[in-house]
Amino acid sequence: MLNYNFNWSVIWRNWDAFLDALLLGLGMAVLSLLVGCIIGLLVAYARLAQNRVLQWAAWAYVELIRNTPLLLLVFMCYFGLPELGIRFLDKVESFVLTLSLYAGAYMAEVFRAGLSSIPRQYVEAAKAIGMRPWQRQRWVVLPVMFRITLPSLSNNLISLFKDTSLAAAIAVPELTFTARQVNANTFRVMEAWLTATALYLVTCYAIALALRAVERRYASIR
Amino acid sequence: MVRRGILGLSAAGAAVGGLASAGLGLLAPTSARAQEAGTSRLQTVLERGHLIVGTGSTNPPWHFEDESGTLVGMDIDMARLLARGLFDDPEKVEFVLQGPDARIPSLITEKVDIVCQFMTVTPGRAQQADFTVPYYREGVGVMMMADGDYKTFDDLKAAGSDLTLSALQNVFIEDWAHKELPEARVDQFESPDAALQALNARRVDGYFGDQSAIRWLMQQAPDRYIDAGRGWMPNSYASAVKQGDPIWLNWVNTVYREAMLGVDFDYFAASYQKWFGITLETPKVGFPSEFA
Repeated sequence: MLNYNFNWSVIWRNWDAFLDALLLGLGMAVLSLLVGCIIGLLVAYARLAQNRVLQWAAWAYVELIRNTPLLLLVFMCYFGLPELGIRFLDKVESFVLTLSLYAGAYMAEVFRAGLSSIPRQYVEAAKAIGMRPWQRQRWVVLPVMFRITLPSLSNNLISLFKDTSLAAAIAVPELTFTARQVNANTFRVMEAWLTATALYLVTCYAIALALRAVERRYASIR
Repeated sequence: MVRRGILGLSAAGAAVGGLASAGLGLLAPTSARAQEAGTSRLQTVLERGHLIVGTGSTNPPWHFEDESGTLVGMDIDMARLLARGLFDDPEKVEFVLQGPDARIPSLITEKVDIVCQFMTVTPGRAQQADFTVPYYREGVGVMMMADGDYKTFDDLKAAGSDLTLSALQNVFIEDWAHKELPEARVDQFESPDAALQALNARRVDGYFGDQSAIRWLMQQAPDRYIDAGRGWMPNSYASAVKQGDPIWLNWVNTVYREAMLGVDFDYFAASYQKWFGITLETPKVGFPSEFA
């Protein structure tokens, strides 16, 4: 038997702080995914471009980000950028920038695979009806690619939301930081971490359910 | 001579180590025990030929390992001063490395003769161990970048809610900061190095921490930082011995007091200069200390 007396009143007293922290984490994850998608799309096109320099630069970016622990990237951005004179980002913005760059590298790979898997006939059909190159991308390639990559987008959003816990390391008051703070202030270790765990779990599951519904509506079967 | 707790740096380690040393003599090469009833620890230590001191190894400038792996710091200097007073040899001391939570248990189990481990004197602790005279008054303060926007404590006060401080995450830390800087925002970090780096990267306006840590950091990087010049939340650091041995306690007190005010002042002042970068003024001579 667990020899521990639970006292949940500390959680109710700090409930607003937990909810604010949850919303901050969600907001940072969604924003990072959006910016990451833009970065990822540009990088994916760069990797498939004819230009060798572009190809190499895109490859270097993806490999650098994917092979470096996210926590180190967070530190580099938060502690390192000001040393280079970049001081206008506060701690939340600095974290969102890091998470966006991180998401960008992963989304680049997802989009590259998506772009590569679009059936050649679709593009040829678009050419046959006289579409210009950018029209082919806008009306044929991108819509199909987004439908193909929708499940990966959902997975990435859930991953990014969980990754926001690393923002605690630079004192961003998201869910992990708040749990640690409540823990430090009240020594109610079990209550604080169980609450954070439950909030992460419920939120991730809710995101998964919602995005699964979107997938059912939009994801294509080729 | 440094001995590390085999069972880890914990109270449990100290307690079990103490029992093991009494029963089997396997885990601890030398035991501070063997003090017969009625004999002072002073006598026991003199007969043993070396002093056994409980301390830590991870908190500069109090007790830490330098580049060569040698245990150094203000606490270590105080321990060596005792060894010098006992044996005329500052090397005749064995350090038992322990966590802060083992400080009182290791005294109670007689694993060590004395604890020199930045121990804050509190009425609660004084019920479990005898404190010596304090050799440092700790407090909190703020350190800023020398080339930063704020130069004095008044600047910090005037900044109001525009001021952001970094600090090590702690239950009381915000209350402590707000005592003198009521509107300051406090960014709490998991480790002291992250809190310091936030200042280096100018993410915050000041590093809020122990005065001794601030002095040590300033000593390490001269001209890089400045002290705001205000300390608050005073608390005294002293050594502690096992309760009930007035001869031993009095001897240690005599050594400490004379280091701060008497024959060993040069030794104490040199340590102080080394670890805190502060030159102590020679105590006023020609008067008893009460008049100086």
